[in-house]
Amino acid sequence: MFSSSNAEATIFDKLKSINYFLLFLICTLFFIGILALYSISNGDFSEWPIRHLQRFILGLIIFFSVALLDLKIIFRFAYLIFIISIVTLMILPLVGDEINGAKRWIILAGFSLQPSEFVKYTLILALAKYFHSMEDYHDNLVSKLIIPSFIVLIPVVFVVIQPDLGTAFVIFLGGVSVIWISGLNYKYFISGILGFILSLPILWQYLKGYQKERVFTFFNPERDPLGNGYHITQSKIALGSGGIFGKGYMEGTQSHLNFLPEMQTDFIFTMFGEEFGFIGSIVLILLYMALIGISIRMALTSKSLFSKFLSLGVCSVFFIYVFVNIGMVTGILPVVGVPLPFISYGGSSMLAVMFGFGLLTNCYINYNTTLTKSSFI
Amino acid sequence: MSESNKFIFKKYDLDASINRRTAFITIAKAGLFTILVSRLAYLQIVDKDKYKILSDNNRITHRLLEPQRGIIYDLQGKPLAINRERYEVVIIREETSDYIKSIENLKNILPDVKIDTEKLYSEIKKTKKFIPIKVFDDLSWDQFSMLNANIHKVDGLYPQIGFKRYYTGGPSHSHIIGYTAPLNKKEKNTNSLAELSSAKSGKLGIEKSKDPYLRGKLGNKNIEVNANGREIRELDRYESTRGKNIQLTIDSELQDYCYKSLNDQSGCVAVTNIKTGEFHALVSSPSYDPNLFSNNISTAEWNSLTDSIYKPLINKSISSQYPPGSTIKPFVALAALENGITEKREVYCNGKHEIKDTSLESGVKTFHCWKEEGHGNVNMNEALKVSCDVYFYQISREIGINKIAEVCKRFGFGQNVFNSFYEEKKGVVPSKNWKLESIGTPWMVGETLSAGIGQGYFLTTSAQLSLALGQLINGGEKINPTIVLNKKKDTLIKQKIFLNPKHLSIIKKGLEDATNTQGGTSYRSRLSGNLKMAGKTGTSQVRVISSQEREEGLKKNNELPWDQRDHGLFIGYGPINNPQYTVSVIIEHGGSGSGSAAPIASKIFKYLFENKLNLKSKGISNV
Repeated sequence: MFSSSNAEATIFDKLKSINYFLLFLICTLFFIGILALYSISNGDFSEWPIRHLQRFILGLIIFFSVALLDLKIIFRFAYLIFIISIVTLMILPLVGDEINGAKRWIILAGFSLQPSEFVKYTLILALAKYFHSMEDYHDNLVSKLIIPSFIVLIPVVFVVIQPDLGTAFVIFLGGVSVIWISGLNYKYFISGILGFILSLPILWQYLKGYQKERVFTFFNPERDPLGNGYHITQSKIALGSGGIFGKGYMEGTQSHLNFLPEMQTDFIFTMFGEEFGFIGSIVLILLYMALIGISIRMALTSKSLFSKFLSLGVCSVFFIYVFVNIGMVTGILPVVGVPLPFISYGGSSMLAVMFGFGLLTNCYINYNTTLTKSSFI
Repeated sequence: MSESNKFIFKKYDLDASINRRTAFITIAKAGLFTILVSRLAYLQIVDKDKYKILSDNNRITHRLLEPQRGIIYDLQGKPLAINRERYEVVIIREETSDYIKSIENLKNILPDVKIDTEKLYSEIKKTKKFIPIKVFDDLSWDQFSMLNANIHKVDGLYPQIGFKRYYTGGPSHSHIIGYTAPLNKKEKNTNSLAELSSAKSGKLGIEKSKDPYLRGKLGNKNIEVNANGREIRELDRYESTRGKNIQLTIDSELQDYCYKSLNDQSGCVAVTNIKTGEFHALVSSPSYDPNLFSNNISTAEWNSLTDSIYKPLINKSISSQYPPGSTIKPFVALAALENGITEKREVYCNGKHEIKDTSLESGVKTFHCWKEEGHGNVNMNEALKVSCDVYFYQISREIGINKIAEVCKRFGFGQNVFNSFYEEKKGVVPSKNWKLESIGTPWMVGETLSAGIGQGYFLTTSAQLSLALGQLINGGEKINPTIVLNKKKDTLIKQKIFLNPKHLSIIKKGLEDATNTQGGTSYRSRLSGNLKMAGKTGTSQVRVISSQEREEGLKKNNELPWDQRDHGLFIGYGPINNPQYTVSVIIEHGGSGSGSAAPIASKIFKYLFENKLNLKSKGISNV
């Protein structure tokens, strides 16, 4: 780590300041992802594992680029980055590629990217800058909640209409977590939760048929074991039949006989849990817990509010990812289509999460940097 | 507290607040992770056995293996009922995204096969999506190969090979072999093959009576399947057990010859080997193509079979009951001999026999001889030769119905001949008790007279006649009649039906004279050459002739509608010096025994003497 007053901090100095234990945990999780994808491909490295590796390398480049950037530049362009990501999200209905009835992807230089994955982090950038720059922090004007509300709700609305309820939920919770940390009176959270519960019947009417089905199915998977409940039921069977020690690497019958749906993406945890059992599942969860724990510790070292809000926001988004995904495949949350970071096969998710940890690392390297307040874009 | 409530954002030291709230979030995250771990512990430790079973149920499927049905052979080892490969196509809805498109493509691949698409679609919609539904039952090999070559165009359709029964014997063998068809409702609970969707069972003939031997045992295999139900690999396999083969005592060539001799007339033939008790032919005419039932018989074909007045579906040799007519006379004669009437006893025949009947205006009821002008004085030999009715009226009246019934039952009348056929009928041997029990009125003398010439309540079958004559001609040795070859079992039971060889020679002489001396009823059908046959004709009325009709002059049979004409019967044996076979022939509404049945029996005897003397079974290869 180096002092911000030392403006001539070299790239070398910065590289030295990176938390390599964090990077080691990331690489370990990625390696588990490669193992799992190799098993799903029935021992073929050439399809999923190789592309997963390519994406990880690209992710590392993004990670280092973002981490080594001047924090002040990130701070200055925080709103702009957010606005660009929102615009991409907005034009998606016009230019996006439709896959499975949802327009989520945009083709950029040969990559198909999912803007909603990046919005999770750019939203936090914007919120962090807003709360950092908020004039007279102790003023009691409700109007100060208007801008953060828009920052959260605009992307949420656009992701909901894609429609992608799961990602919208992650974005929403990520934003709320930053607002929570910024110190908003808890009364507002309590009233917000109450308001949400009361508005559920109205929101319900706006849900699409298949989304309603998923909610029904979540509460009673046996209702339609070959339809919507199929995913949950088969996932539970796979995990449960894995037992304590698992069926052995590449021996998972549920996954290898295709009873598991979408096992290379959303249900990859199930496949891992079937082959490595309870022990494997616990090891994986411990790795994620360790990663989150270290990230929170790193976040708290920062001196500027922007860095703290940004780092803690990244931690929250990452946690929500992991929790929703595992909760979904174990049947305690509805199936909403959220990938497992570093392990699920998926480009945008990988690049976005590396972008997030790049931001976190940048804040950590520049923990001492002080930033002035700025409300300009 | 009150102060903090006033502000939107906390007024305290911001860093402390952030630390506190981060700690709160961190604890919440740890709590949520604990929930995940508990959930996993619940799934993977507490409930692991339950999920293990579910997972195995998922991946392991039980498939049944159809056994091949046993083959039915004739006496010479010629296969009569065999199994052929059946080429069928099934559709599994869940394995195609668009089953209508698949069926349309199938129609293009096989344009000459008709599919009832409406019926098929409604069945597909009704059935669970993973259950195979039959599209075609029976494709030709060419069609099947064509389909296999284009299988990539028809998602969800699977060509399969099963077995179907094929009958080589043609219509002459239909009744005796029977046929198989899909299980009926009751069988679905009891038949050991019921689990198999394509299971069939015998519905008639040997196929039905020997079904438990023929059907074999199901095999099965456990296979690992993927989520689409497609077979990945076989885990274990228990082969099906082939059904047992059966060899009949039927001689296929003889069976064919007898059938052709009937020349499409409605009637039946039974040929019995009196030394072994084996039936070498059991023929019913007209018949049907037995393979109709293996290939899904059409409604039109079925109706034409069931509506025909000639009843082609019925095995007349065992299931149709006829009054024996004069063919009963040898047995009545034996009853007389056993009851003190000698062969020398003469009866004067003036063409009729009268008995008192107070219910009639004239006070007498007249029984006529078939010969209006009468036979004059006849003894037993003559009476058998010319079939004098008045003679038999007289002796029947003297010995009484119960004595006649007792002798007839001893020879197998009124009882099933085989244990092999569910469709067999027993016939009726009338007696005083029988009438009281089944009709409820007392016996009348006139009925004894009718019974004495095989009319009235008397009913028998062609197989019964052949068996009864056999047991008479072989010297009274009881025959264990059989149609299924059984080399171990003794076919002749060491039991005498009657003891007096003199009685036998009297009756034999009468029958030989009836065929081989001038004036005998079947003299016209006698065989020239060394080997001769002998036998008794019978003409049985199917209607009552009123006295008025008799006065107006009897109508000739060929003037009557077909179904009012008399049945023609003949029972015979041969060769007469060393009897080996008995033959019974019944021609429904054939007019008379001598005119319709005896010539056919004669042809059959000639064929037997020329081709089938000393018939022996040939071994079968147990493939």
